[in-house]
Amino acid sequence: MTYLYDVTLRDGNHALRHQLKLDFVSDYCEAAEKSGVWAVEVGHGNGLGASSYLVGESKFADFELLTVARSKLRNVKLAVHSIPGFSTINKNLKPAMGCGVDVFRVATHVTEATVAQKHIEFLAENNQTVHGVLMMSHMADIKTLIEQIKLMKSYGASAVIMMDSAGNLIPQKVTERVIGIKEELEIEIGFHAHNNLGVAISNARAAIISGASIIDGASMGLGAGAGNAQLENIVANLSMEKLSDLELSGFLEMSKIVEAKHPESLPKISGSSIRSGMAGVFSGYAPQVKSISEEFGIDARLIWEELGKRKLVAGQESMVREIAQDLMNI
Amino acid sequence: MRRIRVAVIGSGNIGTDLSEKILLDESLELIALVGRDKNSKGLKRFNGRVSNILVGGSKELFANASEFDGIFDATSAFSHLEHWEECKKYGKWAIDLTPSKIGKPLVPALIGSNKQLSLDSNFVANYSMVTCGGQSSAPIISVFAKNCTGIINVEISSSIASLSAGPATRLNIDQYIDATENLARIITKCDTAKAILVLNPAEPQVMMRTTVTVHAQNVDLEAIKRDLSEIELLVKKYVPGYSIVVDPYMMGPNIVTSTAKVIGAGHFLPPYAGNLDIINAAAVETAKLHSKRFNSTFKVGP
Repeated sequence: MTYLYDVTLRDGNHALRHQLKLDFVSDYCEAAEKSGVWAVEVGHGNGLGASSYLVGESKFADFELLTVARSKLRNVKLAVHSIPGFSTINKNLKPAMGCGVDVFRVATHVTEATVAQKHIEFLAENNQTVHGVLMMSHMADIKTLIEQIKLMKSYGASAVIMMDSAGNLIPQKVTERVIGIKEELEIEIGFHAHNNLGVAISNARAAIISGASIIDGASMGLGAGAGNAQLENIVANLSMEKLSDLELSGFLEMSKIVEAKHPESLPKISGSSIRSGMAGVFSGYAPQVKSISEEFGIDARLIWEELGKRKLVAGQESMVREIAQDLMNI
Repeated sequence: MRRIRVAVIGSGNIGTDLSEKILLDESLELIALVGRDKNSKGLKRFNGRVSNILVGGSKELFANASEFDGIFDATSAFSHLEHWEECKKYGKWAIDLTPSKIGKPLVPALIGSNKQLSLDSNFVANYSMVTCGGQSSAPIISVFAKNCTGIINVEISSSIASLSAGPATRLNIDQYIDATENLARIITKCDTAKAILVLNPAEPQVMMRTTVTVHAQNVDLEAIKRDLSEIELLVKKYVPGYSIVVDPYMMGPNIVTSTAKVIGAGHFLPPYAGNLDIINAAAVETAKLHSKRFNSTFKVGP
């Protein structure tokens, strides 16, 4: 069984510079309800409580977005992404529970699962469905992934999702990782692809074939950087291989809404995206790199390479300027 | 004039680095280090260097209360409650490096700039060192607050090296955020404060950075630039590795931002642990500033 997890209204919010609007959430959730997708994730691109100068201000508060989504979703789960360090239990998780969220994803950088302990334990103790997320998972080897997944499981996560946040992985690596983990651990594994190298769908497929049961995708691929694995394409692939009996038409309806509402924000694989994918840098840095490279007159490639060298993780956006200054002084 | 006699309770990373700093300081005398396990790395390190290595709680320390003026508490919020009761009983000041929230928040560079952040008028005072993000951001926040009117939002985002974040920091990340936001509210009088903490595991380990952003009705950027370089020098006096690496600039209409970097002095943990360095350096400085006010009350001799 493959659970399709729709990140259009969360990762897609990166592409919308966090300006996601309530009518879009409403229309999209209504369509999602008819599609057969398992869950719809809603919120700021960096999750609960992340609206900030650092990573971008949301047009609407978390609770406004969640309330609208909740009013439209019946059978489809309402999900959120939450990063400890941006969100806290009292300020964000408790209010989200109050909004009727069904699935909580607690995310950390791939080597930092211990930071999520209190948050995952709190949600599990309160009988919430809680999944762990390891972001920038390309930066860790299989041994480290297993160790970090074990930690999240021990705190109470019932599944752990590996995010290829930088769009750096190729299908063979995804296969090795999922198989390597499934051999060692009994836990549901998820995979979240980005399309920087043009292989997001292939990566999603590789993850499914290797035993991952939760697969992330976005309608029209709407997501950070080069975008996510295109949800309707995942469905089409599964159907061609007779791995699922999901009906494509519902998903095409969702993609139509995205296309109609945000034609200007649909992802494309720009040179900058390919560079960031190869450098293994978080796709969400794209807007900062673009504006700083224009302001300082520095080739974006140099900035991406320097970000890669310094191994920045998600949430260090303010360093892009410092790096540009350093590059100017060389 | 004799030196200020102090005890350190707790021999983990914070207590160890703090003890090293105290041993290097001419105005402080480390008369005791209290730990739980005599075989711990922290206690062993100071064998022969600190005259009293006490194992198993603070009872023995307070039994000889006449030998010291105040304590640095690097244990836990829970233990600090007990230690502070003892301090009050025996008339000692306490500098709290735990997340207990009992103490008065103090940032040495800001003393005098804000009533709530001033030195206590009682010798038996309890000071909280808040958080590393608080200590590194407060000087910038205060300069922004002084030169902005109608502050709408204040945001502090810090990134620290993974290896510098021990189990306690990780478990208490929510308390870290609350305490840092609370300090920003005290300085700005603005209710909407947001703190963010990011851990970065990159090798070589990254230096601590803190970015402060303020949105206000009016921003005097030139005055901010001038005052910030002044306060930077003031902080450098007790945290030599503190520097402004991104000068204040307008990141949007009426939104001003600036970034500081902290390179640790490397007294115990390597330079990447600027977060521990700044909080301990602030603790030592606070002890000195507080004691100066009560010079005449010092008893001479044990």
